Amino acid sequence: MTLTTQETPEDSVSSEAAGESFVVGESATPPGPEAPEPDVSSEGASEEVTPEDVVFRVNDLNCYYDDFLAVRDVSMDILAREITAMIGPSGCGKTTVLRCFNRMNDLVEGARAEGELLFRGVNLYDPRVDPVEVRRRIGMVFQKPNPFPKSVYDNIAYGPRISKTAKSKKALEEIVESSLRQAALWEEVKDRLGDSAMGLSGGQQQRLCIARAIATNPDVLLMDEPCSALDPIATAYIEELMHNLKKNYTIVIVTHNMQQAARISDRTAFFTAEVDAERQSRYGLLVEFDDTEKIFSNPNDERTESYITGRFG
Amino acid sequence: MAESFRQQFREELDQVKAGLVRMAGLVTESIPRCTEALLSGDLAAAREMVEADSDVDSASLALEHKCHQLLALQQPTAGDLRELLAALVINYEIERSGGLVVNIAKSMRRIYPVELGPRMRGVVTQMGEESRRLFQFAIDSYAENNAGLAAALDDIDDRLDRLNHQCLALIISTEGTERVERSTGIQLALIARYYERIGDHAVNIGGRVRYMVDAWRPSQEVIEETTEDETESETEERAGE
Repeated sequence: MTLTTQETPEDSVSSEAAGESFVVGESATPPGPEAPEPDVSSEGASEEVTPEDVVFRVNDLNCYYDDFLAVRDVSMDILAREITAMIGPSGCGKTTVLRCFNRMNDLVEGARAEGELLFRGVNLYDPRVDPVEVRRRIGMVFQKPNPFPKSVYDNIAYGPRISKTAKSKKALEEIVESSLRQAALWEEVKDRLGDSAMGLSGGQQQRLCIARAIATNPDVLLMDEPCSALDPIATAYIEELMHNLKKNYTIVIVTHNMQQAARISDRTAFFTAEVDAERQSRYGLLVEFDDTEKIFSNPNDERTESYITGRFG
Repeated sequence: MAESFRQQFREELDQVKAGLVRMAGLVTESIPRCTEALLSGDLAAAREMVEADSDVDSASLALEHKCHQLLALQQPTAGDLRELLAALVINYEIERSGGLVVNIAKSMRRIYPVELGPRMRGVVTQMGEESRRLFQFAIDSYAENNAGLAAALDDIDDRLDRLNHQCLALIISTEGTERVERSTGIQLALIARYYERIGDHAVNIGGRVRYMVDAWRPSQEVIEETTEDETESETEERAGE
């Protein structure tokens, strides 16, 4: 079963509530949207994980669509300023889990999540949490570039305008420029900011979508196969971009391209699909989650080994 | 192993392994023949050994090329990656061992026609047997993915090391006497060293087999213990050619 939601542009960037906290009626705010200062001595940091480094803590997460159990028993920590890749065959639940991270599954009829999913220590599925604010703090980039049918400038300015983060026209211009610069697109579009974004190439459109997600000053970027519609050069651009972005953002990427996961990610989660013989249905599960180098050189689980070496488990 | 989508790649990996085992077989067989030639002063056999080395060398180059090709084109991962990386190093270890057997044959020609005394013959015979046995074990462990046997090689090698010391002591105790000339003594010391180095290469192969099977890597202490000795030996080995 796959998700059938049509992602509207608003899903990724909009925010009607401009409050700093996404927890409605709670004054104690989790750490603000400012990403914490990068830890200069982050080499080997995986050995000493402090609570501040844990962006998402997932404990025994089960995802359902009505009665259908789509993914079960997912437990993992997503660490700050790292790229975490999620790989696995179709139907293994990696996209479903990714969509839990910013509550995109709320938009699917009958979808629900059980278990614990903490974002910066706050339960994302707490009824007091405002999903719109969640999506501002946790941006998403989709498989197919989906710019608004507006100008390049308006695409980037859309989020900041709605959330009223820019105090003046000049401040808004600064956000647009800095977002486009961070997405490595500024040089290519600075002279055509008024042109329609639909006229950009596929790779440029995807970088525009990344710039648009950055413009609302998120903490996390979720990417759902962001390069699968791009050629190798455009893909290399995005990969290079992700490498630079991880200095300031935490990135979680779903990819079908294992070499891409190996090239860019710090840690890799391998999901697979198993058949529930009793219920005659398939469900996804997290098999192994470890340093990317470990996964690709010496995975612990036979199923991971079979998948990444191209064998059937 | 489960059904493979990459049957072709798997077959090519198996071919690399089969090629290395075959090449190692040539080296293993040449050790007793070389010892025999040394003890019997058979010059013709010694020349044959020197000439046959080019077979090992060309097989080694071809297998190295195959490994490079698979790395470049197949992007192996996990167990496949370890198998290929191990194969590359094992290829080198086998080729070097073949070179050492040739070094023994060349040294034999330099001391010809000196007759070795009975005690020296005894030590040389044992070194030949021991190095052949170690090398055979190393290749068996590779062919069978036997990490246990591979791990035992280091201990088994102790015996060859002792024989090497025994041989040197024998040379020193008889050097300058009528029975052993100084130049002969030097050649005999080198011969003992060549046998001993074949054992070291066998131990190295064992290490790579352990990496291939269990992703094992030597600890820092082990590295520090062996590094100094190895660099020294590599230089000697090359100098003998």
